[in-house]
Amino acid sequence: MTTAGIIALGNLEARIRGQGGRAMSGLLAVAERAELVELIALRSHVLGCIADAERAAAMAHELVGEAPTDARAFLTRARMSGLFHRFVSALTDLDTAAAFGGDGVELDAERAAIYQALGRYDEAVAIRRRAVDRHADFNGLAALAGVYGDRGEMDQAERWFRAATRSYRETSPFPLAMLELQRGQLWMGHDDLRRARAWCDAAVRRLPAYAPAQGHRAELDAALGETPAAIARLRPLALASDDPDYATQLARILADAGEVEEAQIWRDRAEARYDDLVARHEEAFADHAAEFWLTVGGDRHRALRLARHNLSLRQTPRARALVRRAGGSALG
Amino acid sequence: MSDHNNSPRGVAEPAIDIGDNYAFPSPSRPGQLVLVMTVFPNAQPGALFTDAASYRFRIRPVTIPAGGPGSSFGVGTDEYNVTCTFAAPAMMDDAGSPVQEGTCTLPNGATISFRVNDEQGAEAPGARVFAGLRMDPLFNDSTAYVETLATRRLAFQENAANGADGWDILGIVVELDVATMLGRAPGTLFAVASEVVTAGKYPVRVERVGRAFVKGQMLGELGDDTVNRDLDVRELWNQEDPFELAPNYLAAYRARLNSNLSVMDGIDEKIDWPVQRDGTHPLTELYLGDYLVVDAAKPYAEDSYLEIEQALLQGRAHKTCGGRSLNADAGDANLTFVITGGNGPRIDDGVDEATVRASESFPYLAPPNLDPAVAGHILAPSKVADQLAFLQQAGLASR
Repeated sequence: MTTAGIIALGNLEARIRGQGGRAMSGLLAVAERAELVELIALRSHVLGCIADAERAAAMAHELVGEAPTDARAFLTRARMSGLFHRFVSALTDLDTAAAFGGDGVELDAERAAIYQALGRYDEAVAIRRRAVDRHADFNGLAALAGVYGDRGEMDQAERWFRAATRSYRETSPFPLAMLELQRGQLWMGHDDLRRARAWCDAAVRRLPAYAPAQGHRAELDAALGETPAAIARLRPLALASDDPDYATQLARILADAGEVEEAQIWRDRAEARYDDLVARHEEAFADHAAEFWLTVGGDRHRALRLARHNLSLRQTPRARALVRRAGGSALG
Repeated sequence: MSDHNNSPRGVAEPAIDIGDNYAFPSPSRPGQLVLVMTVFPNAQPGALFTDAASYRFRIRPVTIPAGGPGSSFGVGTDEYNVTCTFAAPAMMDDAGSPVQEGTCTLPNGATISFRVNDEQGAEAPGARVFAGLRMDPLFNDSTAYVETLATRRLAFQENAANGADGWDILGIVVELDVATMLGRAPGTLFAVASEVVTAGKYPVRVERVGRAFVKGQMLGELGDDTVNRDLDVRELWNQEDPFELAPNYLAAYRARLNSNLSVMDGIDEKIDWPVQRDGTHPLTELYLGDYLVVDAAKPYAEDSYLEIEQALLQGRAHKTCGGRSLNADAGDANLTFVITGGNGPRIDDGVDEATVRASESFPYLAPPNLDPAVAGHILAPSKVADQLAFLQQAGLASR
């Protein structure tokens, strides 16, 4: 059993509100500021709030400027760079953190996460396995499950997901909800839609405000033919979140359902937002923007350019598939 | 700080992070024993208790053996526990804030339902309960405390700043009618510990606190424990039953306490607690039993913290209610006890009371500071040298 989502999110908000004020006055130590950055990044992920992620990244950058010899500051900035797919900068910061005496286990875990995002799965697996051999805690087991999943080895992934879930002894709902969503996303990628929906549903039950879980749940509802349920789930998300992914999904589902006028409104909204985000963070949004232009955006050449840019950053199966799809569409 | 931010689990979810444990006869209602547990250090308005754990006061009768150096209390096996659980909010108040309900199960099995942050609390025959945001009653010069341990010389100054100034916490206050709730016990002396245990199929004790400063300081890494020099024992300690330590890590706890208590005894450059030939410190067995000892039959006394323990070691009858009151200067009492053994002037950290003194009537804890001071929920380092480095980095201690 984990803490109810409403309590956990309220307590997270309270912590951010409190520490945020003190940080503005310059009264927090480096470790406290790093914690604040990570709390804001957590809220960004849970609520699907890109503005929060930008704020966290900016704070991490400032932290390095003000504590230029502190390993924790560089580790924090590396994490935020990873969020925005600035992988080269992230790896450089991890090296700097190591040179300043950062915790080797923590830095290795972060390095593995970046290798995984880059599609360097063998290196990521090697680090994750070493970590689990040394200490098989929830974080290590969950990370190992994730990298096996990304490598397409779902039997192995499931084995480690189960081990991670069994090892969880905490009360916070966030780590388990993230694990459940990740499990759902992996099964979605393997076209097992019902199993995927069950895991996304578990994440939503645990943390009802979890925007990415709600978004994927809606996507699965639509894929399973439950269009009205998908639309009902997506409308509030598309309204509340500054992540255009939800508006894109909603536009696509509405268009498929013949609701052309409303679909156009959400499409236009997503376009404006993607233009803005790609201008500022092209690495981070190239893949999702490519999906947008490839589907409701209706500009296959633009989709192909963005998909190729994404592939130049990370050679993952998903990035390759996106280029193939965009290329096929652009040629067709 | 006392027990604030002393466990990785508590830092990850502050709603299960116990700050302090208090037990004292009511100053305003004779015959009532008051139990207080504070959680969520640096809580802000809007903070709530978790619904995924139980907050328990563990209470057992205590007997005092013949006494003398090296003694410890005899703890009975009967329990008179008080357990509070909280629900997920199901409604909002007029201001749009979630309303949380709680249930308190009393030693006689009766239950009281209450609403979090309702200052009136709720009552049933023989008991009253309150839970909600209040001001943290803790006070001490936490920086000088760490400097004292790190440099092994007294670093206190007059009129120092309270390290917990203006902080809020979530408090649980239970007032028990001793005759009704504890009357079956063979005496009036009780051991009291606070703990948080996860709910669900496999309950896990994730936090426990008895006396002040035990986990963060006496079990911290001062660098002299040659048996387990680098072992952070706090999470292991948290999982132990306060009244029955498992054998697995007992030797590690003993080694750490023997070492740290000896270091602390030497801070005033004299030995007040001579160790045995095998290195056993006279206070080690006492501190292995990490709970408050309170005499429910004695009248309230504000500064009676550790008086019953001192009486035990001196082989005399105790004079006060012991336990720990909300306004007790537990920091000074703790240092004076461990460093001087009562042989010399009282050690004074220069902070003598909380930002707002606790009240003498229910719910005792001072109302919350609605614009609370804040600090991060960073795991307090186990190594005292790292604690000092952290404080220096935060600009709280001189370099």
